[in-house]
This record gives sequence, C-alpha cells and structure tokens, in this order.
Amino acid sequence: MTRLAWWLIRAQFMTRRTATALSMLAIALGVALGYAIHLINTAALADFSQAMKSVQGEPDAVLAAKDSAGRVPLALINEIARDPAVAIVAPVIETRVRVDHAAIHSGAPVKLIGLDIFSAAAVMPKLLPRQDSGGAGMFEDGVHASPALLARLQLKVGAGVTLTRGAARWRTRIVGDLPAARPDDLLLVADIAWVQARFGPPDAVSEGRLRLMPGTRLASWLETWTARLPAGLTLRAAADDTQRVSNISRAYRVNLNVLALVALLTGAFLVFATQLTAVAQRSTQFALLGVLGLSPRMRLLQVLFEGLAIGVPGAALGLALGYGLALAFTRVMGGDLGGGFFSGSTPVIAARLLPSLSFFALGCAASLAGALYPAWLNRVQPLAQALKTGFAQRPPAVHGLYARPRRSVLIASALLPLAALGLTRLPALDGLPLAGYGAIALVLVLGIAVAPLLTQIVFGAVARRALSAPQRVAVQNIVQAPLMAQVAASGLIVSFALTVSMVTMVSSFRLAVDQWLDAVLPAPLYVRSKGMPLPQELLAALERGAAPFARIERSAHGALSLDPQRPAVVLLVREMRRADAAARLPFTGPVVAVATDRVPVWISEPMQELYRLAPGQTLRLPLLGREVDTVIGGVWRDYSRQFGAVVIASDDYIALGGQFEVSDLALWPRRGEEAAAKAWLAAHAAGYGLDIAESSEIRALSLSIFDKSFAVTYALEAAAMLIGLFGLAVTLAASVWLRARELATLSALGFDRAMLTRAVMFEGALIAGIGLGLGLACGIAIGAILTHVVNPQAFHWRMELTVPWLQVLLGAALTLAAGIAASRFAARLATRLPAAQVLASAQ
Amino acid sequence: MLTVTDLSKRHPNAVRAVFDELAFAVAAGEIVALVGESGVGKSTLLNCIAGLEPADRGAILIGREARDIVRLDEAARAALRAASIGFVFQAFHVLPTLTVAQNIAVPLLLSGLAPGEHQARIEALLARVGLAGFAQRWPPSLSGGELQRVAIARALVHRPALILADEPTGNLDPRTADEVLALLLERVREEHASALIVTHSQHVAQRCDRILTLTPDGLQ
Repeated sequence: MTRLAWWLIRAQFMTRRTATALSMLAIALGVALGYAIHLINTAALADFSQAMKSVQGEPDAVLAAKDSAGRVPLALINEIARDPAVAIVAPVIETRVRVDHAAIHSGAPVKLIGLDIFSAAAVMPKLLPRQDSGGAGMFEDGVHASPALLARLQLKVGAGVTLTRGAARWRTRIVGDLPAARPDDLLLVADIAWVQARFGPPDAVSEGRLRLMPGTRLASWLETWTARLPAGLTLRAAADDTQRVSNISRAYRVNLNVLALVALLTGAFLVFATQLTAVAQRSTQFALLGVLGLSPRMRLLQVLFEGLAIGVPGAALGLALGYGLALAFTRVMGGDLGGGFFSGSTPVIAARLLPSLSFFALGCAASLAGALYPAWLNRVQPLAQALKTGFAQRPPAVHGLYARPRRSVLIASALLPLAALGLTRLPALDGLPLAGYGAIALVLVLGIAVAPLLTQIVFGAVARRALSAPQRVAVQNIVQAPLMAQVAASGLIVSFALTVSMVTMVSSFRLAVDQWLDAVLPAPLYVRSKGMPLPQELLAALERGAAPFARIERSAHGALSLDPQRPAVVLLVREMRRADAAARLPFTGPVVAVATDRVPVWISEPMQELYRLAPGQTLRLPLLGREVDTVIGGVWRDYSRQFGAVVIASDDYIALGGQFEVSDLALWPRRGEEAAAKAWLAAHAAGYGLDIAESSEIRALSLSIFDKSFAVTYALEAAAMLIGLFGLAVTLAASVWLRARELATLSALGFDRAMLTRAVMFEGALIAGIGLGLGLACGIAIGAILTHVVNPQAFHWRMELTVPWLQVLLGAALTLAAGIAASRFAARLATRLPAAQVLASAQ
Repeated sequence: MLTVTDLSKRHPNAVRAVFDELAFAVAAGEIVALVGESGVGKSTLLNCIAGLEPADRGAILIGREARDIVRLDEAARAALRAASIGFVFQAFHVLPTLTVAQNIAVPLLLSGLAPGEHQARIEALLARVGLAGFAQRWPPSLSGGELQRVAIARALVHRPALILADEPTGNLDPRTADEVLALLLERVREEHASALIVTHSQHVAQRCDRILTLTPDGLQ
C-alpha cells in the first residue's frame, strides 16, 4: 500500500510540477514568516531582558518613584532594610549625563549609575569595577566606564572627562572600567555618594533594589509593604519588568503573526486548489483504483498523503527560510521588526528544537487542512459514475447542500453579518483584538458563502438574455460547474479582500499620520536632547535678543508609572497657556473648560483607550512624589506614543513644585532669517549631541519609518494576490481540462478555436468579476474592522476610514486582466489537441 | 464462484425496477456472456455484482468462500474486490502515470501479496499476454490492443475467483479484438476463474460457454 501511495505521489508531482512547487513555496512562506517573527522576538526579548539584568541585576523587588522626577527617600530605604524578611537593599541613583573629553563628545547622553559597593556586589555584580583598578578603595573619586563607552570615546582609564547635566557640570577622571558590563552597554558607574553630591538628589535615591530572605513569599511581602508606602512610590516584583518588556511589543507581534497566519492560510488555499484540481483530473484513475479494491479510507488518505508530501518539504523549507529571514531582518531592522520597541539591539538568533518542530507541524497541518476537502470529495466519488463520466462535482453526499442553496445561503447572509457586527462590539481580550480578527474571518466566510447565490442571480439574469454562442457556453458552464467556479472565485475573494483591506487600512493610517504631523509639527525647527535637560548655555543664548527666533516653545519629558504591568505613560510638560490648549494640541473631541483652582491635563488617545478615561474626569497622577488630582481637559490624537501620554502646562507643573528642565524646543525663526536661524543653532548646539531637525525632515523620517513598518504587509499583499490569481488559473485550467471532450464536441459542431478561446476567456472574466466584486465588498468591510476595531484595540490609535479608490480599482482592473490572461492560457491548453484526437481518446 | 439470488434494483424515483428477482450462477472455470439491449441494466447488474452500486434486495455470493457482497460495508466490498475480482473495461483504464509493470502490480499491492513475489509473477504474465519486455513502458506509448492486454494481465495477476469484463473488445478493431478476446478466454480458463462478460457482440458471446440475455422482464 505504501508503495502504491508513493507511486501515486511521485506521479502527481511529476505531472503537476509547477502547481506543486508553488503550493510548497506558499506553505514555506507562511511558515518562514511566522518562524522568523518568533525567532526575532524571542531573541530580542532575551537580549533586552539580559541587558536589563546586566544593569538592574537580579533583585526580587524594586522600589521606585511612579514619576520619573520623583525620588525614593533614604529613610524609607533604611526602614525596609531593617525588615527581617529583607536580605539586602541596594540603593541606586540613575541619571543621564553628557561626557566630554577635550574635543571628544559622547553625543547621546550616557547613563550614570551611582552604587553602594557592598550591596551592589550582592544584587548587581555585573556593575562592579575591576578589582585591581582602584587604589585605596573600590570607588575612588571618579567614574568607572564600560568597555563600550571607552571604545566610543576612544579613551583609556585615567583620562579626565567633563560630565554635564543641565546646569550641573563636573570635571572628573575615569578611574577604572567595568569588566562584566555587556559589550554594547554605554555606562558610567560611580559611588552613590559621589553621584549624589554632584547631581543630587540629597537624602534620596532613584531606586532601591531588594533581595528577600530565602523562604519569604514575595507576593504577600509586596502586598504588606505596598500598603505602607508613601504616595508616589511603587514596589514591584522584578519579574514584572520582563513581562512588561514583552507586553510592549505584544500587539505588534500578534499583528505580524496574524499576517503570517494569513500567508499560511493562503498556502493552505493553494494546496486546496491544487489538490482539488488534482482529484478532479484523476477522478477516473481514483475510481479505477476504487474498483480494483482501494478502500474509501485509502482514497481519502492518499490525497491527504499528497497534501502532506507538499507540506513536509514546504514546512522544512519554511524553517530554513525563516531562519535566514530572521538573520537578515535583525541585521537590517534590529530586533523590533521595524516596530521601534527595542531600537538599537541586534539580538542573536538561535533556533530551538520545540518551537522549530511546532512551526514545522503548523506548516504540515496547513497543508493537510488544504487537502482535507479534496480528500473527502475523493472519498465520496461514486466509483461507477466517475469511471464512466469522470469527476462528479456534486457527489451524492453533498446533494443536500446544493439542493437548497438559496435558503442556506440566505440564512448565512443574514446571520454572519450580525455575528461579525456583534464581534466588532466586543472589547479586546487580554489586550488583543481577538474578536476583531474573528469578525474578519466571518466576513471572509460570508463572501465565500454568498458567491454561489450571487453567481446564480447574476448568471441567471445573464442567461435569460440573447447571448452569442461562446458567451452562452461560458455562462452555462459556470451554472453547471459551480464547484470549480466557486473555488476559483473564492481564491480571488479572499486574496482581493485581504489586499483591499490592507491597502485601505494602511492608506487611512498614512493619511491620518500625515494630517497629524501637520498638527504636531507647527514650528519650522525642532531641537531635542536625548533624555536629559538641554544645556543651560543654549537656553540662556536663546533668551538673548540676538537669537534670530520670533517664537520659542519649550517642553520637558518625564515618565509616570500608572500600572506596574504596563509601560510608563509619557509626561509632557509644555510651555502653553490653558486657554491655548485647543489651538496647541490635535484634539479628537471637545475641550473641557477646567476651573481655575483645578489642574488641567490633556491625555492622548492611547491613554484614553488603555486607562478607560474621559474628558471632564478627575485623574489622580503620581506627580513629584505625591498623588495630584488633575482634571482631564480633553483627548488629543497621538500616533507616536503607543502607551499613552499626558500633557500638563509648564506653569501648572511649576506651581505644583516641579522643576521645568527643558529637553525639547520648537522654534519659529524670524521672517527672512530661516537660514541664519539654522546656522545660529548649529553654532550654539555644537558638541552637545543634540538633534536639530526641520519639520519637513521629521515628517519625511516619520513617514519613512511608517512605510518601513508596513513593508512586510505590502509583501504579503502581493503574495496574496499572486496566490489568488494562481488559484484562479489552476482551477480554470482544471475546469477546462475536465471539459476537453465537451470542447472537442463543440469544435466538431462548428466552433473554431477562436470561439472556444473566447468562451473560456469570457468564463474566466465572469468568475474573476464575481470574485473581485465580492472581494472588494469584503475588503472594505475588513478595512473598516482593521481601522475601527483592530487598530484601536491593538495599538490604541483611531483614524478615519479612507478608501483609496484609484489604487483599488486599478488593482481590480489588473487582476481582471490577469484573470483573463490565465483563462486564455487555459483555453490554449485545452484546444491545442485536435478535436478528433480528444474525442477518440479514452478519457 | 458467482451466485446471484433474487437480486432486485430500482433507481431512486424510477417508475419501474431495473431488474427484479434475478437469479443465476457462474461456476468455477465457466465463462458466461451477458447480452441485452442498451439501457436494459447490464452495466447496473455488473456494478451491483462488483459492489459499486447497492442492490435493493437479494444476494450475490462471490469466490470460494461465497461471501455476499450485498451484505458488506464499503470497505469490506473494496477488500473483496481486491482479493477476488478482476476487471476488464472497454476503455482499458490503464493508469497513464504508472509503468506497465506498476499498473499490473496494483492488484497485488491491494491484495497484500509480498512484494518479493511481484516481479516474477508480472513478468510471467506479461509474457503470456504477449507483452514481454513491456514492463517499463509507459501506457501513452501503447496501442489500444496492447493497453487491453495490460488490462487483462492486471485483471488476472492476483488470481481472482471472478473476472468481470465490460465490453472488453468494444474499442478495438476486429482483428485485435479477436486476438484480445482469445487471450482473455484462454487466460481465464487457464486460471480456472469464473468470468462474466457484458457484450453487445454476438461474436464475443458465441465464444463464451453460456449466454445470459437480460431483458426488461428478466434473464432468459
């Protein structure tokens, strides 16, 4: 039996090389994308986690301020250290400084970490200086630099450097290195008292990193202490940090995985089309084998074996391709696949057995799923009839389905949209738009289910009209051969729907980002420091009348931790008056007037979605070491900070006791002095490692990052359309092949080759037309779901739906032309043999 | 080797039965011709005997063990065909993607004969049907007569108890038809199998041991 199965598989591969190879490639593509995403993400998370551990060490818990401007009082650290359940507390001060050595500048700010050597030895051993580097003590009067930083600055131990942070500036010396730091860590480490004395804060630290005594239950210990913490502080399990890092990119990963799944499903569809046509073309052979004694089970299994024979090499190729893609992607895009989450890292890709086997099995399963219906159809073919007349498109077992198509399709047409609509109303499940994806699947099922009814209605009407002979043959064939027509149309429905939906979503998103950039980049010039205050000299120079600027707007950045499980919300302190808010931010709705004795804040759309907030509500924010009640004055559009942002006016922030450390500038040069303004900035900002950009440059860069992040999507759209077209070509060719004798008979009755070709091309055009029409309708519906459900739930971004009609209609026209060309090819294949020979042939 | 008793068959929604209470037997080594006008139900009868169409009533006992194919499920009917029935068709039905030897080996694979015995048996049979040296040839390169010889070899290779032939010479020219028929009858007798041959040809029928005529009123 195995031998017979192998003979048949080999024969199938030899006679249908192109279709088989393309099916394998499609499966390989789906597996490769999914596997590459998995490999990259696993490596990126591991890399990020290691990097975090290298700096943070491996504590059990971390005590920190919820506000990046907040501090942890040393008194509290000491109190916690006295708890018998606590083994050790390592106080840490973290800040960012600019490092200068003569004419050499560090460029981007460098992290400066202040440690207590004894506690750090237990909790953060990788940050310890070289044992023999010191003189009298472990930390001398100076800083220890990581090897990567020494290499970046081209300095050696012993070199003198200047450290600058805002107005604070200190000359010091690099007294040693950090041998255990990761090769890409740019770090300075010094004694905590040394850092505190120079950069503050007095009597406080940035964090306390804790180790508990063995046997202490972390959760209950955290609960007890959290209840006793002063406002503005948070105590979190260190393991949550890894989870939070994973959560940052989860929605993006899931979205990419859904795209990979779509690629795999299109692969499964191709296997389906290939196997269905293979079964149809070999129906007489299978019937003969059945007559000779091949059991129904074996007829079913044979087609499944053939599906597996496509899936196994396809999945194996997919693993190899996926590994290669992962290597290439990490080199080109880093570990974040263009998502911007872990920028800068180039993680090491490592294949592991279990995930590899899982993706291999997934590819095989997709291929088997594609072969399932053809296998079942082969199982139920009536042997005697198939032996005599060939493939039965309506085997007895499915007569019931076709007997009352209108009723079942009408019920499906009514229920499926309702179900899809219901799913779009459901909230995200665990932060993921699973119901939205379900609604998309239902729309596709609806499109495929409606196809036969639409075919009946359209071609029923067409058939009643006066038609030329070729047209009549084409119409009658579609009506008489619904399975092949439906399969051909289904491929186009699915592929065109996915293409239209992605084009619509991406186009809507791009247009929205474009408009948003107009609103958020009103100034011609922008200056930004990277995570530290701008130099005092620059700010002072800007105040002087000689600076060629008509208007300057200052702002500062901070971070607020509202939920330990989620990434921090960005705090934007902006130089703006309350009354100007409506003109200064791109609000999505009305701006609420806030009483003068209350503090207004304006939250971004993602923050509204994530924390379920609304304008007018009181929002308690952890600001400046305490909880401050603010009022939400409005919600503004933000496509930049996915995890939320909140704006507060600088006057209000200062009134609350905050220090307005300016890190960003928006600059309006005086009229006619644009070039002079740029030159002035270049001269004054030189050596500070600042980003200076025109708004047009930021806009171009933003849109280029946008396009880069959707590059995978464009590639998948193209693949989906090619697969849909190939499915159409394969099924049309098979349909025509099955009717070779009928066409030969028509030829004998007086149809010339041109008429037969016209008939087949007309049939292809009609099927493609139905597929494209339904695909377009489904595509716009799916585009709306992606835009209004999936995007807000996954990424917390909202936008208007914009259908790019020109692109869509051009795509439809091209697809129709390709479909007609495929039909012409099928017709030429069918009519190349002399009619007499076909009529005389046995099959 | 083949015993048919009280066999009745009516197509769904048909006014009258295709046949009603048919009864006949074909003894071991006997070759019986089944003749009758078109549409009288000869092919349906053959399909019922092969278990390809269900009979409404009656019994069809096949082989030395006299198993009733009417009472068997689909898988068991397939197994009985694989073990006990050989088929020869008007349209040859030789698989174009398998070699001549592979085509002939199919019943051996289906009946579970050890692969070691295949080659010798196939080569011997090919020699007896006049196709020595054709083992590795592909069917599209063969003539109609040669294809039918391959089909006869395939029908006999697993030494079935019953051969069912449906117009075995219908697609052949008279001289080839004569040769093929002679070969079929000779090989069937040699194997001591039973055979039921459906034919419109009086010439073919005359060369069989017995003739059964199927009419709308039953067998004569």
